[in-house]
Amino acid sequence: MYFWQFLDVIYTIQSVILKENIVKSFFSLLIAVFFFHLTIFAQEENPDSVVVSTKELQEQIEQLKLHNESVNEILLDMKSYLDIARKLKFTGYMQTQYQGSNGIGSAQYPIGNFAGGTFPTNVGSRFQVRRGRLKVQFENDLTFSQYVLQFDVTQNGLGIKDAYINIKDPWVKSWNMRMGVFDRPFGFEVAYSSNFRETPERSRMSQTLFPGERELGAMIEFAPEIGDWTNYNLKLGVFNGVLPTANENDNSKDIIGRAGFIIPFDEINFAFDGGVSVYQGSVRSNSKFIYTFNESQKLFLVDSTTANAGKNYERQYFGVDGQMIYDIPLLGGISIRGEYDFGSQPGTDGSNVFYNSTAPLYQRKFYGYYVSLLQNIGTKHQLLLRYDVLDPNSELEGSDIGAPGKNGKIGDLKYSTIGLGYLFHLDDNVKFTFYYEMVKNETVNSGVAASSTLAPYKTDVNDNVFTFRIQYRFPF
Amino acid sequence: MKKFIAIILLFSISSLLFAEDVITVKGSDTMVILAQRWAELYMKKNPEVTIQVTGGGSGTGISALINGTTDICNASRPMKPSEKQKLKHRFSSLGVEIKTAKDGIAIYVSEKNPIKELTVQQVKDIYTGKITNWKEVGGIDSRIILYSRENNSGTYVYFKENVLDDEDYSPSCQNMPGTAALVNAISKDPNGIGYGGAAYAKGIREVPVKADENSSAYLPNAENVKSGQYPITRFLFMYVKSKPTGAMKEYIDWILSEEGQSIVVKVGYFPLR
Repeated sequence: MYFWQFLDVIYTIQSVILKENIVKSFFSLLIAVFFFHLTIFAQEENPDSVVVSTKELQEQIEQLKLHNESVNEILLDMKSYLDIARKLKFTGYMQTQYQGSNGIGSAQYPIGNFAGGTFPTNVGSRFQVRRGRLKVQFENDLTFSQYVLQFDVTQNGLGIKDAYINIKDPWVKSWNMRMGVFDRPFGFEVAYSSNFRETPERSRMSQTLFPGERELGAMIEFAPEIGDWTNYNLKLGVFNGVLPTANENDNSKDIIGRAGFIIPFDEINFAFDGGVSVYQGSVRSNSKFIYTFNESQKLFLVDSTTANAGKNYERQYFGVDGQMIYDIPLLGGISIRGEYDFGSQPGTDGSNVFYNSTAPLYQRKFYGYYVSLLQNIGTKHQLLLRYDVLDPNSELEGSDIGAPGKNGKIGDLKYSTIGLGYLFHLDDNVKFTFYYEMVKNETVNSGVAASSTLAPYKTDVNDNVFTFRIQYRFPF
Repeated sequence: MKKFIAIILLFSISSLLFAEDVITVKGSDTMVILAQRWAELYMKKNPEVTIQVTGGGSGTGISALINGTTDICNASRPMKPSEKQKLKHRFSSLGVEIKTAKDGIAIYVSEKNPIKELTVQQVKDIYTGKITNWKEVGGIDSRIILYSRENNSGTYVYFKENVLDDEDYSPSCQNMPGTAALVNAISKDPNGIGYGGAAYAKGIREVPVKADENSSAYLPNAENVKSGQYPITRFLFMYVKSKPTGAMKEYIDWILSEEGQSIVVKVGYFPLR
């Protein structure tokens, strides 16, 4: 009697717990047979009961076999759904933060506009959900196609970050074709995910040249995983040339490309990566007033021909970037990254973010760069130092801005920023970032009138920002 | 500001100084039994060291290394450039590759299957779906049932790149979660064919494999794998983030020692020397 109860228990366990594993089902069967033999041994004194038990046991074994068959059928059915589920990936991360400034948000000048968004007037500290990303990917590994959709949810609402289709060539599997909204292929920092990036935000240069990082367009990429070309990569794309998810506003398309290389020295755990990038595009002016800078006179000269409205003006960048890593024994890896970009940018009087407005168009030559140093200490700690510079008008000095007879604008001010940071990786999901950035603006001519919009820039504005950020990412 | 930096430095240095001798190992399912045997014996000889071994597949192990959640990653395939790139971004390191053993990828069939031998080309044609009946390769007139591993498996990737020449697996392949499950399925399926580490070939039959039509066929045994006559061989790797030091270095040195390599043989793989 006890034996049958035990067998029932095994049967139940098998049905409920071990359904997914045929091997385990057979293991249960083996246990049953083992106890069957024990029972025979125990019941030798009563041969009649042995005959009955054997019969019943055989029936039970048959039942078990049938049960296994049915489990197999269920498993096969489940497997088809599981195969689909395996192709579907959900990943995401959230960045919540507290920020404090040594200044107070003002209507006259922005604070924190390159540190996660301008502080509202009279506000010197704030909590934010800086990024709340959810990425859905579906990959068909037979046709090498990929669907990617990424949302960003913050206190400001819901936005689309990535929305593209990627198709890999089925022959050599080194080429990708991508179409939709995705990162512009320029430099290193623009395409370096905020999930992994050590600084809370990209440099002022990257944010100015590529606001939102992404863009609507199509791109081909050469990125071999095997063979002799694995240390080279190439990206070349055609884009609308407006804001990430904005509709096209002219008939010209912008071309963006980067050619990169990797030089690894595995024996000493040292590597140098680099690349050169080009942006060749234009923007359409919605105004007839076109300001171009005359370097010798240190003046913007205006052309107000009516036909200027609707014309396209050059947006052209060139860039070089390099990243060096070296694993320092006993301490941890060190990384030095740098990027230098220059070119011509159509903007407005108050901003050198590319022109997408109805205001008069200002054409400027700019340069910018950043250098960052990242030191790992063990696997959990990182120390960080970054210096970045953006001079939106490389032909104009700060002292000329606001000088008598000159017409330099706020959008011509050069900025430099020193950032110091510490990162602590609690586990594979959670990362803490402490980052302090000291922002220094170019000072304008001391003779600027107090009533002028340039007046706050006679000295360095109080706009340093401290950020404490917690990031949670999944799966990992 | 100075206080802030000092606290951070103290915190970082103290966490390094008081680190325990706990070594975590994660990755290849092919290597999991081998890694467990290594760990058991080493811990018996060095009770002050704790070694935690888990499987999950080479891809999973490499991800864990990139995320800093394992000290050692076991992998039955080399790291891909994209994976090295991620390691570089997270730790500013290329990682260190250590060859720990050799393995012959065995081609399994049921004991009831009369097939005598296969060429590498035939194996490729079978797995890419060009050959679908056993009679095309000297067997009985019966459909070939393909069993494979899942794509997070290093064995899957190695087989695809080195046997299928990076061509795609036939869509009719049934992907099994581990080599043990694959072997179990083939043992019940007279028309089945599968592949996996030689150490797993229990209860089914290994098919002798020829490099080409003009070569001799070899079984994936110690002699043939070491000599390179068996045509489908590979290294089994360990990856660590940085050049190993301290307890981890001692452990890896022991794995590469004569004693550590003797475990390789006992588990069914092949030593480096």
